[in-house]
Amino acid sequence: MADFLQQVVAGLASGSIYAALALALVLIHRATGVINFAQGEMATLSTYVAWTLTANHGWGYWPAFAFTLAVSFLGGAAVHQAIIRPNEKGSVLRVVIVTIGLLIFVNGLVTLIWGGEVRAVESPFPAGTTVIAGVAITTADIGTIAVVLGTVAALWALLQYTKLGLAMRAAAVNPAEARLVGVRVTWMLSFGWGLAAVLGAVAGMLAAPTVFLDPNLMAALLIYAFAAAVLGGIDSPVGAVVGGLTLGVGLNLIGTYVDFVGADLRLPVALLVILVVLLVKPTGIFGKSEVRRV
Amino acid sequence: MTRKLVLTLLALALLLAAGATAALAATARSSADPGVTPTSVLVGGTAPLTGPQTAYASISRGAKAYFDYVNSKGGVNGRRIDYVARDDASDPVRTVAETRRLVEQDGVFAVFNSFGTDQNLAVRDYLNQRKVPQLFAASGASTLGSETARFPYTIGLRPTYTAEGWVLGQYLARTQGAAKVGVLYENDGFGQELLAGLRRGVLRSHVKIVSVQPYDVDSFDVDAQVARLRVSGATVFAVFASPKHAAEALKYAGRLGWKPKLTVGNAAASSAPVLAAAAEKGANQLVKGMVSVAYVKDPTDPRWSKDAAMKLFHKIVARFAPGSDVSDVYLVYGMAAAWTAVEAIRRAGTDLTRQRLVDVVGSLNLKGNPFLLPGIALRTGPNDHFPIDQMLLQRWQKGAWRSFGGLWTYRGG
Amino acid sequence: MSLRRTLVPVVSFVALTVVVAVVPLFVSEFRAQELAYVAIYLVAIIGLNILTGYTGQISLGHGAFMAVGGYTTAILMADHGVKDIWTIPLAGLVAGAAGFLFGIPALRLSGLYLALATFAIAVSMPAVIKRFEGFTGGGTGINLFGVPELTASLTPVSILGRELSFNDWLYYLSWSIALVGYVVAWLLLRGRAGLALRAVRDSETAAQSSGVSLPRYKTLAFGVSAAYAGVAGSLFAIATTYVNPDTFPVALSILLLVGVVVGGLGSLVGLIAGAVFIQFLPTWSQEVSKSPGAPSVVSGALLIALMFVLPMGVAGLVERLRLLTRRIYHRSGS
Repeated sequence: MADFLQQVVAGLASGSIYAALALALVLIHRATGVINFAQGEMATLSTYVAWTLTANHGWGYWPAFAFTLAVSFLGGAAVHQAIIRPNEKGSVLRVVIVTIGLLIFVNGLVTLIWGGEVRAVESPFPAGTTVIAGVAITTADIGTIAVVLGTVAALWALLQYTKLGLAMRAAAVNPAEARLVGVRVTWMLSFGWGLAAVLGAVAGMLAAPTVFLDPNLMAALLIYAFAAAVLGGIDSPVGAVVGGLTLGVGLNLIGTYVDFVGADLRLPVALLVILVVLLVKPTGIFGKSEVRRV
Repeated sequence: MTRKLVLTLLALALLLAAGATAALAATARSSADPGVTPTSVLVGGTAPLTGPQTAYASISRGAKAYFDYVNSKGGVNGRRIDYVARDDASDPVRTVAETRRLVEQDGVFAVFNSFGTDQNLAVRDYLNQRKVPQLFAASGASTLGSETARFPYTIGLRPTYTAEGWVLGQYLARTQGAAKVGVLYENDGFGQELLAGLRRGVLRSHVKIVSVQPYDVDSFDVDAQVARLRVSGATVFAVFASPKHAAEALKYAGRLGWKPKLTVGNAAASSAPVLAAAAEKGANQLVKGMVSVAYVKDPTDPRWSKDAAMKLFHKIVARFAPGSDVSDVYLVYGMAAAWTAVEAIRRAGTDLTRQRLVDVVGSLNLKGNPFLLPGIALRTGPNDHFPIDQMLLQRWQKGAWRSFGGLWTYRGG
Repeated sequence: MSLRRTLVPVVSFVALTVVVAVVPLFVSEFRAQELAYVAIYLVAIIGLNILTGYTGQISLGHGAFMAVGGYTTAILMADHGVKDIWTIPLAGLVAGAAGFLFGIPALRLSGLYLALATFAIAVSMPAVIKRFEGFTGGGTGINLFGVPELTASLTPVSILGRELSFNDWLYYLSWSIALVGYVVAWLLLRGRAGLALRAVRDSETAAQSSGVSLPRYKTLAFGVSAAYAGVAGSLFAIATTYVNPDTFPVALSILLLVGVVVGGLGSLVGLIAGAVFIQFLPTWSQEVSKSPGAPSVVSGALLIALMFVLPMGVAGLVERLRLLTRRIYHRSGS
């Protein structure tokens, strides 16, 4: 039993990080209708900025955290304005290819500037562990889950209860009508890209202290986040969070209890499970089915 | 009607293609070995300059810096050594393409220091059939150095993973009594061979391996595996992982409050700053006193602060590879490989041919590689194409590695 | 009009064939080998274009179908003594069947959900190959260099009484198959099937109401497209003389999509440029700088810039040039 719960706790902590990046993908999809392949690499870049500030310039973790979020927000919005928006006409695949180009570019840039070595990132949380009924729960686990959930709650409040949030949702759902009522649609979409970059940065900065930092920090994470977002429904923020946590716990339990699977095949099996879910519900658990227009 | 026309034209096109090939004649090859002139010798290899394993790009950087240094002193036997490292992004298909480019287009004299197990295996048949030396392949896979009859042109450098696992196993067998070992290993040739070596090392001792947990190299984390090893009741935790995954495993194990005896493979031990972080300022009891093996001088080890070779290392990095991270042990490894290549080319004499070079590296008995730990010799023979088979145990103390005990020599079999 | 619609492509195709046939006379053997890879990528992206460009189904997993083809060839050659060229059609069949079967559940998915489903195959393929070690050689893979089933390796091959080096042989083999594949795709897409596929892409509902069977054409597109990928994978294995799980990484699937978009979605004209692009991009970018990471910076920037300059891919450029020349022609005529 303790073994089982231990795996659940480990899964929730990793899952909350998948959820943060999945949520970023969902925001971008709502704003631009594509999967941003560069989301993970942008997050890696943010994390390196934070690392440089703490390791080389003597900043504290939280000031560096806040500064990095601000920089990421501006960076995300700038990416949208500078290279996404001009490529939005024509096939949606054009934007997809631009994000793939950005992925390759940023990955190279990080290696070029900071090198390929593994870097240690200071953890914002004390190194304590609480043992409850044989299950070790680290302060870092609790802190990670709390920060992600807090960020998600803040984001949800922003979208749901502020004028800005309303304008953003309007711009995403029906740009033509939003424009008519005076919403500056492209700026709203850039705002969405900025928020997504912030979420990515949160994921990166929370992950780096535990899994350490290298230029490929997010390569594996992007696949998990993509799967989590689709599992939950690519347009549903709630779905992204539920999808992320489910995937985190599910991966661990599959790897532990299905003997044939083992740790090496757990990702393929998890993906297979998601495919089966999609066959039953083709738009994810929380997704709404699209209205098809002729 | 149009379909018929298309088919006719298609047939015509194929005929044309075949006809044009008939006009081609096989190109004749010159008898002298390529890549050698009276003033220069060209070697090349593949390196992960981009992609998932860029952490090892510094191997080629260190080697290049050392060659530049040697060239600035007049080269070898009057020849400058030119070294081209081409990017394969650690993708074996690209390794094949880039190696063919080095051999067929750039005309290298020898392939040198290419990185990775799969990468070196992907080009081994090709290089041996073309009789191009495959020098000092940067991998510890046993097969690279043991099939000397089939692949006389292939030679490794570092100890095999089997040797490394065996030394750690022997150490456990001699010091840990009836220990129960839990192993975390990378699920590929590297991790599997280390595990096999460990099994051989603890054979006929009281040490039992109670749980083995594989992970995939592109996994996000290894938490689940560590949690399983902890509940297996293991008293010894053996980590055969990449530096990143090993550091994560140590940190997580520490935070779970698990306190087994810890041994880590050489790859995981390579980055002292990362291990220092995993130690969490001494809060992680697990890291203190952990044991590993080493054969290259670690630039962060205070013992080498006055060592002539390491002073030279810092001088070469400053001059020929500025901006590199001087705490990176792979820069030292690259220089150790380059030093060995320079020595081999020197011994092959002024009349430099591929055959002579292969004869020299196939019967090495070289001491005094300044970048290796003192006393380690480079030895090869008819059935052994792994020059290094000696290493030292090292223990993590006060935030740095310190070697202890005498040299361990693995004799295969 | 109909004659002209046929004549222009046929004449350009013959011209292309002639160029392809004589190129090896003017380039080094090594260059011929690089160009052979262009043909291999061309086969794969012709297939992917049938699915993504003409039918509107995004696949991020065609590298996996290449893996099926590549492993079919490698296993047949290494374990069953089948000559390399005979494994090529078999590889196409096996991969095509896999694609067709995958197409059936995929019917329920659309857009990004389908993209994830295909991506999942690409992501899982290496781990699955490693697991079935007895069959696939596991992580070490299967080495084909020097096996007798290979038509040419270091020893030249004799065709029509002339000797052809390994590289030239690869070149002619790959390009012959690519050109045949090109014609087959052209014939398929200009006929009824092509019309139906495009109708599915433009509006599934409209296509259905005009009597196009969605299941039939979507699975057909998947099957045909995967068969092309299988043939490409087979040639890949023969050319590289080596397969292992990392031979067909996720990045390959993404690269193929890049090739299709750079070439031009829903058009056969620009695909050669797309194939050239994905073959030579890593080489070109290395020439700019060899610092760790720098080649990626160059590749990424180049790819983004290309989407700015050529929004419709190279096919769009060709189309614009065609319109331009026609306008000039008409003006001078009047």
